[in-house]
Amino acid sequence: MNNRIIKWIDQRFPLSSFVKHDLTEYPTPRNLSYWWNFGFLAGFVLMLQVATGIFLAMHYKADVTLSFDSIQHIMRDVNYGWLLRFMHATGASAFFLVIYIHMARTLYYGSYRAPRELMWWTGQGLLLMLMATAFMGYLLPWGQMSFWGATVITNLFRATPFFGEQVVIWLRGDYGVGDATLTRFFSLHYLLPFLIIGGVLVHLVALHTVKSSNPSGIDLAAKDNIPFHPYFTIKDLYGLGIFLIVYCIFVFFLPNSLMEPANNIPANPMQTPTHIVPEWYFLPFYAILRSVPNLVGGVVAMGLSVMVFSFMPYLDRSRIPGGARYRPWYRAMFYLFAVDMVVLGYVGYTPPSDQSIVMGKIATFFYFAMFVLLPFISRKEEQWLIRRGLPSDVKALVASEAKEKIKLPDQRRSGDIK
Amino acid sequence: MKKLIVILMLCCSSIAAGAAESKLENIQVETSVQAVERGADALMNTCHSCHSLKYITYHDLVKFGMDKKKVDDWRGDQPLDTAVTSQLSDETAIQSYGKVPPDLSLMTKAREGGANYVYTYLIGYYITPEGMTSNHVFPETKMPDMMGISGATDPAQRAEIQTKARDIVSFLAWAADPHEEERHKLGYYVIGYLLVLTTLLFFVKNQIWSRLK
Ligand code: HEC
Repeated sequence: MNNRIIKWIDQRFPLSSFVKHDLTEYPTPRNLSYWWNFGFLAGFVLMLQVATGIFLAMHYKADVTLSFDSIQHIMRDVNYGWLLRFMHATGASAFFLVIYIHMARTLYYGSYRAPRELMWWTGQGLLLMLMATAFMGYLLPWGQMSFWGATVITNLFRATPFFGEQVVIWLRGDYGVGDATLTRFFSLHYLLPFLIIGGVLVHLVALHTVKSSNPSGIDLAAKDNIPFHPYFTIKDLYGLGIFLIVYCIFVFFLPNSLMEPANNIPANPMQTPTHIVPEWYFLPFYAILRSVPNLVGGVVAMGLSVMVFSFMPYLDRSRIPGGARYRPWYRAMFYLFAVDMVVLGYVGYTPPSDQSIVMGKIATFFYFAMFVLLPFISRKEEQWLIRRGLPSDVKALVASEAKEKIKLPDQRRSGDIK
Repeated sequence: MKKLIVILMLCCSSIAAGAAESKLENIQVETSVQAVERGADALMNTCHSCHSLKYITYHDLVKFGMDKKKVDDWRGDQPLDTAVTSQLSDETAIQSYGKVPPDLSLMTKAREGGANYVYTYLIGYYITPEGMTSNHVFPETKMPDMMGISGATDPAQRAEIQTKARDIVSFLAWAADPHEEERHKLGYYVIGYLLVLTTLLFFVKNQIWSRLK
């Protein structure tokens, strides 16, 4: 019976072959570590945000006179409304945490290198859409921080050459952030997640073309690949369990720790809060913005600080496989960069003082210096490593896997040592 | 080297930030119905003339378990589902205090320091050497010393005022987050369930992976 239905479908739609190709027989490197769980987790959080968001939208009112009250209505009167809202608000932070770890893994293991550049670039596009969605969602509660955050950030578009003023008005739909801004942000906040879902599909199609990278940084031969299902379905589910425990600790016990107190005060255009801070996930970029003394420079630096990751496949000139694992210099840079991010985050959080401004400038300089120096350092490091000889296990691995590699002539790519 | 300096600076300044925070008194907010009801009582007598709690209705108080007779006293002839709003009009408030007293429904969530801040603010009034009343955490506040702490010198009297302030803050903490207790209770179940599930998944995972030699 079942078989007949599936056969009927298969004649009209490639169901079985899809399941086979992309799940039950999809070859996955068996040596993936838990750092490879975060892509699945990001997809899960995306679904969670869409699901909770749809229900929140049933009770939310996008109107400057009503939205603050409607959030309180959700928090107090709607059945389990508090749960929906805390899940959604905590989910935003969880999303960024998961994505940042996902990106850090890619950087550490060099997964952005050929032939996975398109994975990296579609991922970059997804990050931008995620940032836009989060930024617009933050306006919706119409608290003080919502209002002033949106005011400060839309104001940055004043840096646009020639039409700065008009662009700001066009974005806000009014001279200041107001009802028109709120309603359009709500509309786009509802739209963008669906574009993100589309982007994720492209990301996945690309993934299933080039297959997963792995901690060794070498494309593994067939013998070292195992089917995605059941090995990685169960591993992803186990990882999901761990993630949900951490997530639920925040949702149920610490939900307010991620919210700015000032956002529990209704937006008041007449009163600027003493200290405007974005959510934690924007802090490093915000610090870079503030570290450049002039508006245009700051905006360009901030935009570049997000977009500069795209250049990684070209900036990293080393052909040593395995990302940071077999590359001590690159590994040191990776950790320094992580520390630099934390310093920038701290600078973005504290009110500007003489000390924090200097700290921000140094950290901003360091941030960009890393990317600028990477081509030279990675080249030198490669020469040094080849002169010194790779560890014998890496050499053996490279040799044993070499026959089966996807051949991309004329390309420098990870694992090519010649 | 540069990095090291930055890290050192980071440490120094976070210690400095910690010192500023510690000005607030640390209190344990009570969640029992009795304590919250005592707080509501005190608030109705000393604060309600100026402040509203527009997201709390008298019905919410009854539903929470407060004495119906008391709630009826507070609401007078207003219907049970009216919000707890004060009679003070904005115009009069601006005339008398230069400012509209803020709504208190979300007060313990709307200030850095939360309940500790509100408590420290309420009992933070003192008489300056010039004979003026001021406040330790909000020196330029327009609100008079409603708890009468600045004039109280007798330790027993001060202790009594502090107890009353703690009750009021307990009530405000409930008002800001009325589902907190329910949230915690549900949280224990959910996390307990997830712990069991994740442990099981861990064993299933090991079992499946053991098929690979
Ligand atoms: C006489 C009118 C009046 C009474 C009674 C009163 N307040 Fe206020 N309250 C004010 C005014 C006016 C402000 C605004 C102060 C300011 O911002 O300068 C205020 C502000 C506050 C604030 C906010 C402080 C801040 O950080 O912005 C809190 C909390 C507060 N009141 C609590 C209470 C409590 C609790 C009571 C009862 C014990 C009470 N008030 C009684 C007039 C009053």
